[in-house]
Amino acid sequence: MRSLLRRYREPVFVAFLLALPFAFFAAKARKPMHHNYFDRAILALTAPLEKAIVVAVNGVQDAWHGYVALRGVREENLRLRREALHEHNEASALAEVKAENERLKRLLEYADRQSPTRYLAAEVIAVGASPHSHVLRIARGTADGVTQGAPVVAPEGVVGQVAVATAHYADVQLILSPTSAVPAISQRTRGRSTVKGVGDVTRCKLEYALRTDDLQDGDLLLTAGGPGFFPKGLPIGRVVNVGKRATGMFTAADVIPAVTFSRLDEVMVVLGHLPPPSSAANALRGDPQ
Amino acid sequence: MTLRNGLVLLVCLAASILESTLPFLFHLKAVRADLLLSVVLYLALNDEVVQGAALSLAAGYLSDLTSATPPFLYTFLAVLTFVVIRLAGSAFKTGGGPQSAAVAFAASLIHSSLAAVLFYFVAPGSEGLVLQFVPLFWSALGTAIAAPAVFSVLRRLDKALVPAEAATLVR
Repeated sequence: MRSLLRRYREPVFVAFLLALPFAFFAAKARKPMHHNYFDRAILALTAPLEKAIVVAVNGVQDAWHGYVALRGVREENLRLRREALHEHNEASALAEVKAENERLKRLLEYADRQSPTRYLAAEVIAVGASPHSHVLRIARGTADGVTQGAPVVAPEGVVGQVAVATAHYADVQLILSPTSAVPAISQRTRGRSTVKGVGDVTRCKLEYALRTDDLQDGDLLLTAGGPGFFPKGLPIGRVVNVGKRATGMFTAADVIPAVTFSRLDEVMVVLGHLPPPSSAANALRGDPQ
Repeated sequence: MTLRNGLVLLVCLAASILESTLPFLFHLKAVRADLLLSVVLYLALNDEVVQGAALSLAAGYLSDLTSATPPFLYTFLAVLTFVVIRLAGSAFKTGGGPQSAAVAFAASLIHSSLAAVLFYFVAPGSEGLVLQFVPLFWSALGTAIAAPAVFSVLRRLDKALVPAEAATLVR
């Protein structure tokens, strides 16, 4: 037996190395992702290096752009003075619009106070390299309050959800991933649907949009909200390639995401909703809810 | 663990960091070089079986850490790629850049397609197989462009270390 093992040492060892990860993969594929201590140690080693590379390269780029910007600054100054004169005339016309804006803003602030959401700005430091890993790594982790599953957004719209988080870093699974599904609502028709990732870097798939909703190319989809999901009303993307079918319950269409994922430098992690002022005061007093 | 294996692991670590920062810094949408796959290919074509398979497992594990796909998917695929390329190794000659680029291109396409098959059938929420050939093609192209550089780094490492380690063993 021992001689047999010695003779087939190489194939046995390789078969073991093949079987071991496959067994783990098959067992863990449908469970939530989780980093063990060893994974965390490796990430604690690599993530700061990734951040350092990004900071260094961005620093060089900024310095170079600053130098380039200084050239021709005199000509630009003259042009800007002429433009300023023109803008001054337009400013008076905008004063009325500003007053109206202030009034509407006060109304919005009132609405925000009903359910204010806490956001945490996070710097993007890396991306997943494989075509199947639609992932961003951000320089925020559980030490900053980031939790697994937390929604992540950008000013342009929805980005994704936190897949795994370590103390100071987290991996964000983009809405492009085949495992992502975001409840959506059409801005124009108010019809509900789901935006599902298909693994393509340029588009998602629209699902469960009722045929009677009359969706059209160019319609903007917003997040539908709900507990545990993205805050309501954030842009997800625009509907394209609407397939009008004579039968069936649902409309088939694609969605072009509102966010350009390859150009994200910073994102916002949604940490949750702040308690309303009354409940916060009760909590401080120790009153039961 | 020999010094050479330790340095190969360091190359893997550096490759893992580079392959996740470069696409971000240069705003690359699809042309993403799989540097760790290139390391696995080099090992399959140049290393001994036991050592190469173990190092491939480590490279795959690093790939898993940066991908947030189901755990151990890339670890399994790295060892599988090592085995397949090793078995077919006699057919490949990777002395020069173009040859290693061609092998890397083909291996990346097959590797990614296999990953897609496993991912879509096993990952939660998936609805069957949907192969996106365009991103696979661009990724394979990126890998093919980067492979000669990775091969060159590892070849230099081997040239510098293998005679020294052999001499140590003789003594």
